[in-house]
Amino acid sequence: MSTHLNTEQLLHAYRVMRTIRAFEERLHIEFATGEIPGFVHLYAGEEASAAGVMAHLRDSDCIASNHRGHGHCIAKGVDVHGMMAEIYGKKTGVCGGKGGSMHIADLEKGMLGANGIVGAGAPLVAGAALAAKLKGTDDVAVVFFGDGGSNEGAVFEAMNLAAIMNLPCIFVAENNGYAEATASNWSVACDHIADRAAGFGMPGVTIDGYDFFAVHEAAGAAIERARSGQGPSLVEVKLTRYYGHFEGDAQTYRAPDEVKNLRETRDCLMQFRQRTTRAGLLGDAQLDLVDAQVEDLIEDAVRRAKSDPKPQPADLLSDVYVAYP
Amino acid sequence: MSHPAPTVGIIVNPASGRDLRRLTASAGLYSSTDKASAVQRLLAAFAATGIRRVLLPPDMTGIAAAVLKASNGPQAAGQRWPQLDILDMPLRQTVEDTRLAARQMLARGVALIAVLGGDGTHKAVAAEVGDIPLLTLSTGTNNAFPELREATSAGLAGGLFAAGRIPAQVGLRRNKRLLVRDPARELCEWALVEVAVSPQRFIGARALSRAEDLAEVFATFAEPHAIGLSALCGLWCPVSRHAAEGAWVRLNGQAEQALLAPLAPGLVQGCGITAAGPLAPGVAYSLSLSSGTLALDGEREIEFSEHDRPTVTLDAHGPLSIDVEAVLAFAARHRLLAVGREHPQHPAHPQC
Amino acid sequence: MARKISYQQAINEALAQEMRRDPTVFIIGEDVAGGAGAPGENDAWGGVLGVTKGLYGQFPGRVLDAPLSEIGYVGAAVGAATQGLRPVCELMFVDFAGCCLDQILNQAAKFRYMYGGKAVTPLVMRTMVGAGLRAAAQHSQMLTSLWTHIPGLKVVCPSSPYDAKGLLIQAIRDNDPVIFCEHKLLYSLQGEVPEEVYTVPFGEANFLRDGDDITLVTYGRMVHLAMEAAANLARQGIDCEVLDLRTTSPMDEDSILESVEKTGRLVVIDEANPRCSMATDISALVAQKAFGALKGSIEMVTAPHTPVPFSDALEDLYIPTAAKIEAAVHTVMKGRNAA
Repeated sequence: MSTHLNTEQLLHAYRVMRTIRAFEERLHIEFATGEIPGFVHLYAGEEASAAGVMAHLRDSDCIASNHRGHGHCIAKGVDVHGMMAEIYGKKTGVCGGKGGSMHIADLEKGMLGANGIVGAGAPLVAGAALAAKLKGTDDVAVVFFGDGGSNEGAVFEAMNLAAIMNLPCIFVAENNGYAEATASNWSVACDHIADRAAGFGMPGVTIDGYDFFAVHEAAGAAIERARSGQGPSLVEVKLTRYYGHFEGDAQTYRAPDEVKNLRETRDCLMQFRQRTTRAGLLGDAQLDLVDAQVEDLIEDAVRRAKSDPKPQPADLLSDVYVAYP
Repeated sequence: MSHPAPTVGIIVNPASGRDLRRLTASAGLYSSTDKASAVQRLLAAFAATGIRRVLLPPDMTGIAAAVLKASNGPQAAGQRWPQLDILDMPLRQTVEDTRLAARQMLARGVALIAVLGGDGTHKAVAAEVGDIPLLTLSTGTNNAFPELREATSAGLAGGLFAAGRIPAQVGLRRNKRLLVRDPARELCEWALVEVAVSPQRFIGARALSRAEDLAEVFATFAEPHAIGLSALCGLWCPVSRHAAEGAWVRLNGQAEQALLAPLAPGLVQGCGITAAGPLAPGVAYSLSLSSGTLALDGEREIEFSEHDRPTVTLDAHGPLSIDVEAVLAFAARHRLLAVGREHPQHPAHPQC
Repeated sequence: MARKISYQQAINEALAQEMRRDPTVFIIGEDVAGGAGAPGENDAWGGVLGVTKGLYGQFPGRVLDAPLSEIGYVGAAVGAATQGLRPVCELMFVDFAGCCLDQILNQAAKFRYMYGGKAVTPLVMRTMVGAGLRAAAQHSQMLTSLWTHIPGLKVVCPSSPYDAKGLLIQAIRDNDPVIFCEHKLLYSLQGEVPEEVYTVPFGEANFLRDGDDITLVTYGRMVHLAMEAAANLARQGIDCEVLDLRTTSPMDEDSILESVEKTGRLVVIDEANPRCSMATDISALVAQKAFGALKGSIEMVTAPHTPVPFSDALEDLYIPTAAKIEAAVHTVMKGRNAA
C-alpha cells in the first residue's frame, strides 16, 4: 500500500512522472516546429495515474492504452528513445516507425499497445486477463481509457465479460473532463464513470488523479483484488490534461484559466514534491537530481531520434504476416 | 401559529460514496442517480410540510439537472413540490463548492439545510452556516454524524421544523466538535466526529480504516451501533451524542486485548487497545505520537513531524442538527401531519 | 485411415485433435458448449448447429461459453492470442461481424505491422457463412471479400470435409489471424477424411478437375455447383478445369494464371455479392496478367447486388446455380465478339 513506499520506490515514482512530463512538454515544443508527423495526444497533467497504477505491475502483467498513451508506455518501462524515435517515424522506433504515437507497443514489457480506436483496449485486456487465468498465473491486465472511451460499447462488453468470468482485470477510467472537445459531464449519463461499476457487479471508485498516493493506493487495492482471484474492478481517476486533445487544439472549449488554475493548485508533481519533502521522506536535492537526469534523458532521446535513419522502402511490405506464401 | 412560507436548502456532495472502500472493503456505491432520487424524496416531504421554496446548488454530475427535470414532471405537480431555485455559482469540483453553496444559502435566510453526504460534507457546511440547523443524511461510507435514514421521513421532520411547527428544544440538537490546533503552524481545524492519528504518512485516499494504520482515535461521541472509527470507540467506551464529554482510545498491535470493531463496511478487524478514556471538554490533549498523519472525519489529512505539536480539544460549539426521531415523535403526539377534507392530499380528493 | 464423415464432424475432429495436442488451444463463443449457468446440461448445444458438441466434456475449462457480446469475447480472443494462447473463437454467423469488426479490422489484423513485426496473434475465428437456409439478410452473407481485403488476415473457405479438417488444423497452427468460413449448407456433406492429423496448406488451390477448354475458379459451396456444371458441360463436349481456391487470402494466383494460360477462358463463380468481390478480383488479376491468353470475355457468376432475400422463391434466384454457370461457360465459349 502507498503508506509503505520506501525511498527507492518514491524516487522511482517521481522519476516516472517527471519523465512523462518532460517527454510530453518536449513533444509539445517539437511538434510546433513541424518536424513531428501525424497526430500526437499528450498526457501531461495525468502523470500520477500512470505512475500510481504501474507501480504495482510487473512485466508479465499486461496493459492496453489508448491514443493518449505515452505516459502509460513510459510508466510500463518502454524505452524512451525507442518511443521518441517511433514518434519521429524512424527505423529505430519501438515499432520500426510503422506504428507512430498512437500505436506504441512493447509486448515484452507487457505493453499491449496504445490504440487509435477509443475503447478498443478493454476487450483486449479482458483477453489478456483470460489468458492469465487459463495459464494459471497470477498476472493481471489493466486497460486505460478516458471519459470518452467509457461510453464505448466495447468497454461495457469487456466489463461484463470480465465480471462474469471473474477475470483479473482492472478498468482504469482516466476522466480528464473532455472527450476531444465534448465535456464528460454532458456525455457521460451517470456523470461518475465509477457509478457504472455497479451495473456490472464490480466495485467502482473515484480517485483524485492529481494525488499520486491516492491513485497508488486505490490501484494497489484493485490490483491485489485481481491478483488474488477476486475479479475485476473499475477505478475512475479524475484529472486533467494540460494540452489539447491533440497538438494543435487551442482548447477554446475550456474556461480561459482552467488549465492555468489547475496547474498552479493541483499539479501532481508539485504535490508529490511538497508532501514528500515536508514529511522528510525525500530531499529537494534528490528530486532536483532526478529532474536533471530526466532532462538529459529526454534531450538525448530527441537528439538521437532526429538523426536516426528512416525506414527503408522494403519495410513497407514486411511484417504484415508472420508467414504468407 | 402563522409563519411566512419558509425556504430551505439542500446540499449534496456529488463526490461522496465512491471512495477506496469499495475496493478494500464491501462498501456500497452511492450513485449520482441515487442522490438525485434522494433529493426528490426530500422535495416530496417538504411539499407535504408546507415548504414553498428550495435552494439547490448546481453540480457537474447531473444531480441538480435530474432534480430540475423531475420538478417539472407530473409527480412534482401532483405533490405540489416547492419552487426549485438552482443557485448561480461557479463550480470548482472541490469542497469549495459545498462551502460556497452553504454561504449563499445563509445569505438567503434559509430555515434549514438538508445535507446529503458524509461526515466531511457535513463539517464543511456546518463551518459556514453558524446556527442554521442541518438535516443530516448519509450518502458516504463510514459516516457517524449523519445517520442512514430514508430521505422521505427525514424530510418530513426537517420540513416540520423549518415550517416552525416544532419547538427548538424538541427538534434541535447541539453537537460537539473536536478542535485540532498547532499555533506554531497556525493550524486550526475541526472535526465533527473523530480525529484519527496514524503513524503512517501519505494515507493516499480517504481510507484511514485499517487497524495497523491507527495509533489513536479521539471521538466527539461514540455510538456502539455506528460504523467506522466512532464505532471502535463506541464498542469500548461508549459516549452518547448528548453527553458533555467525548472518548479516546489508543491502539497498538501488540496489546494484550484486541477489540473486534467494524472499521468499515464489511471490515471487522481486531484492534489492539492499550488505553482508553473519556475526553473532557475544554482540555487540550497532546498526541502520543511525535510524527504521522492526522485524519479529521476520515478526510482532511494533516501530516505532522517531530517539530510539530498538534493538540486535540473537545468543545460544545458544533452545529445544530435536527433530531429526526424526536421531531416525528412530537409530530405524532400532536397530530401535526393530520389534515382535514380541505387538504388536497386528503383521500376524499381524486389523486392527480 | 480414411472413412466417411461429415464436414461438421471433420471440423469437430480437427478441434479435438489440436486441443489434445496443444494445451494453449481453447474455444470461446456463443453457446459453443451451450448451457453455461443454466439448470440443465452444460453441453446442451455444442454450438448452435452442434459443430463443437462433445468438446466441453473432453476439455474441461477450455470450451468457454461467451455472453452475446461479440466485441467483448472476440476482442478477448484477440487479446488472449497476443499472450501466447491459440484461441479458436466462434462468430456464430459471419453477419455478426457488424458488431465486432473493430477487433478484427483494427486490432488483430494490424498488430503485427503496427508493432513493427513484434506481435504474433494466432487467432482463429470460425464463422458460418452462406445462403440457402432461408435465414434471410442478416444470417446468410458470405462477406469473403470483406476479410480478404484486409491486410494481416488470412481467409479460409473449405469446400469438403477433407479440406475442412486439414485447413482448420493449419489455421490453428498458423501464427497469423485466420477467418475460417464454414458454409452452413456443407455441414452435413459426407466425405473421405483420414483419422490421423494432417494439414492442408494455405494458398494452394485444389485442381478438382482437369480440362483444356475453360477454367472455372471458385471456392466454398460453389465448388460443388461448378463441378456439377462441369459434368453437364462435359457431356456437351466442353472440357472444364475446376479450381477450388480453398483460401482467398493468401490466394493461389499462380494456379489461376497457369490454368487460364492453358485454357484461355475464365468463369469465376462467387456466392458473394458481385461488387468488389473475389469474382472481380480474380477477373482483374487475369485481365492484367494473362490478357494475352484470353480467347473470350471473362464471365462472373455471382449473387446479385442485393441483400439475401428470405422467401425461397427469391433466395433460390439469388444463389448461383449450376445452370447459370453453364450459361456463363457457353457465353465465353462463343467467343469474344459474341459476348
